[in-house]
Amino acid sequence: MARRKKPYRPNPPLTLLLAWLIPGAGHVCIGRPLRGVIIFLVICATFWAGVGIGGVMTVDPRAAGAERWWFVSEMLAGVHGIVGWQRQERVYRKVTSDLPDSIGPFNRAEAESRRVYAVNKALADKGLALVYPTDVVARAYAGIAGLLNLLCMFDATALAMMGTFGEPSRKRKTGTEEG
Amino acid sequence: MIAALFVNPVNLSPTSQLWLMLPLFLSAAIVHKTIRTGNLRRLWRDVAFLFTVYMIGGTIVLALVLWLVMTHWPSR
Repeated sequence: MARRKKPYRPNPPLTLLLAWLIPGAGHVCIGRPLRGVIIFLVICATFWAGVGIGGVMTVDPRAAGAERWWFVSEMLAGVHGIVGWQRQERVYRKVTSDLPDSIGPFNRAEAESRRVYAVNKALADKGLALVYPTDVVARAYAGIAGLLNLLCMFDATALAMMGTFGEPSRKRKTGTEEG
Repeated sequence: MIAALFVNPVNLSPTSQLWLMLPLFLSAAIVHKTIRTGNLRRLWRDVAFLFTVYMIGGTIVLALVLWLVMTHWPSR
């Protein structure tokens, strides 16, 4: 007697991890490769359009105040966010390597604020500083790419938890509709 | 030149940021419909509808409402 093959059930934690790391990979995991490819291309294009507009400082973990939330959302774009962050770190280290470690005989807070000013000035001198309105557009693109990936992560993981695999079955058309 | 594009920021005018919302809307529409649509054959039709009617239409309606509020808001 032939044994019936067990239907494949995607692993939700693995789906979540892959969906975060490579946008669209979660949908490939749940048997929807075409959707995965579309998601990957769109999120990749949106994220790198943001970096193209804003330059290397778009993904900035040192951004002050509410701007820091953009960094969090950019990190949701997985490998794109990580690559953007590492590029920014490399350029930031290169720019700040010329600056002195301590600036003048000031207290700690004063010295820190002067250092921030010196870093911003060095970035501006090299033409890397993000200014209005470019910063708004660039961070919106890169950040929204991350948020769109969050949406895809939720979708892929929820479907994996329900044990869904493959495209949804279409209802059969009836009568004259069938072509 | 392409390498410089991803290092140095582009100079944008304040009005251009409004036009740059359109590709962002399109991205959101494509991703949303890619995960929501039951039939991928209908994807581009659904994206076109969401993009034009809900996103562009909704933005225009919102802009009109805000313009009316700003223009006719009773001043003290």
